[in-house]
Amino acid sequence: MTDNSPIIEVKHINKQFGDFTALSDVSLTVNRGETIAIIGPSGSGKSTLLRSINYLEQINSGEIIINGKTLVSTPQDKAIYVSDKEIRRICSDLGMIFQHFNLFPHMTCLRNITYAPIKVKKIAKARAEAEAKCLLAMVDLSGKEDSYPAMLSGGQKQRVAIARGLAMHPAVMLFDEPTSALDPEITGEVLAVMKKLAEDQMTMLVVTHEMGFAKEVADRVIFMADGRIVEQGTPRQIFDTPQSDRLKSFLRSVLRS
Amino acid sequence: MSETFDYILLILPALLQGTKIIVVMFFMTLIFAIPLGLPLALGSDSKVLPVRWACRAYVFIFRGTPLMLQLFFIYFMLPIYFGLRIDALPAAIITFVLNYAAYLSEIYRGGIGSIERGQYEASICLGLNKFQTMFDIIIPQAIKRVLPSVTNEMITLVKDTALVSVLGVADLMKNSRAAVNRDGSVMAYLVAAIIYLILNAVLTKLSYRFEDKLSRHEVRCNR
Ligand SMILES: Nc1ncnc2c1ncn2[C@@H]1O[C@H](COP(=O)(O)OP(=O)(O)OP(=O)(O)O)[C@@H](O)[C@H]1O
Ligand SMILES: [Mg+2]
Repeated sequence: MTDNSPIIEVKHINKQFGDFTALSDVSLTVNRGETIAIIGPSGSGKSTLLRSINYLEQINSGEIIINGKTLVSTPQDKAIYVSDKEIRRICSDLGMIFQHFNLFPHMTCLRNITYAPIKVKKIAKARAEAEAKCLLAMVDLSGKEDSYPAMLSGGQKQRVAIARGLAMHPAVMLFDEPTSALDPEITGEVLAVMKKLAEDQMTMLVVTHEMGFAKEVADRVIFMADGRIVEQGTPRQIFDTPQSDRLKSFLRSVLRS
Repeated sequence: MSETFDYILLILPALLQGTKIIVVMFFMTLIFAIPLGLPLALGSDSKVLPVRWACRAYVFIFRGTPLMLQLFFIYFMLPIYFGLRIDALPAAIITFVLNYAAYLSEIYRGGIGSIERGQYEASICLGLNKFQTMFDIIIPQAIKRVLPSVTNEMITLVKDTALVSVLGVADLMKNSRAAVNRDGSVMAYLVAAIIYLILNAVLTKLSYRFEDKLSRHEVRCNR
């Protein structure tokens, strides 16, 4: 992959929930291999931004281009999406990790991972299973193939969810507070997997409250407040030399706790 | 004591004959109403408005009128107005299937609606289409949640079959009443009650076993 074009382009998007503006003129470019951390106070629109990128929310206006393919554009004043089939194809480049894992509880770990590759990508079962086992080993869960999600700890569930996402070979992985539902002592095992991914040049967009992770792993940190991107830069710029008052006070509040 | 025993033996063949009707009605209703409830459930929440209205109207009619009236309607009115003659037992089975499908569809709808949004979102993000999401992700989870309510319906069904006696079908209810009227003893009712209870005990037992089987993945420990 020597392609230098951005993998995600978000241009001037706006998202309303009724009268409430959740995203206001947000633009963002994600380059290949980049790890971006999105931070900001609760309700600032971080999840909404992530969910708009992979079509879990529909934007009101603006443009989103993924891997060179336009998902939505706004020729006049209203956002126009491409066809359902096209949307599914475009979004197959995106993997999503949720705060609450959303594993399929009625399937074993192995089946959770292989189901979509087999059914959506039509990969042979044996091959999908072999790959799933590699992925489970990668997230340090070898031997859990036949376990059901209910029998795993939160940290283990999230790692299975990551393996499930990776099995579809997405070009970008989106994480929405992947460790927020976990006990503090087990967030480390999930963050370690994510760090490994970042080192392997996986493109990642991570909404997180883990400032340590943002500082250490992210190439770029984006600070959101009130539905806008207020500031962005390298971890050093954001954490050591914050410019805006919003960011300064946000950092004071999170670093104090 | 032995007189009572002899009397029970005397009426038992007729009662068992009546029990057969219950079993037939039960299984026929089960086999057709359980699958029929699903398209009704999905239709009731369909985005295609005419489909939704049709399904909801259907459910409204069959839940909103007495089962006995529906029996009469299909058995007596269809021949009069449409020239369709059906025997009492098939007419009863058709009525029960239509009626139970309506009730079951509402149970299914509740079960499907109770599955967390996150399951749909994970499915979308993995690229599953609507059909795969519904049949491989949502419905298998919903089945477990609706099983107790469906069992409830099945127990009601066993008892509801007694209604066919009003069409003259010789079921357990009709045959026990005949014995009571003929012999002036209520023993036949007592035996009938015990038979109903046995049927429902078997049913309850089976459904518990099925529930266990479905929730195995929540207790089984793999290592
Ligand atoms: N479906 C919805 N309907 C109405 N309002 C919504 C909806 N989803 C989000 N919002 C609102 O949009 C705003 C942004 O929400 P969002 O979930 O993106 O915030 P966030 O930055 O992810 O916050 P948190 O850190 O708490 O997860 C919030 O004020 C929220 O109340
Ligand atoms: Mg959020």
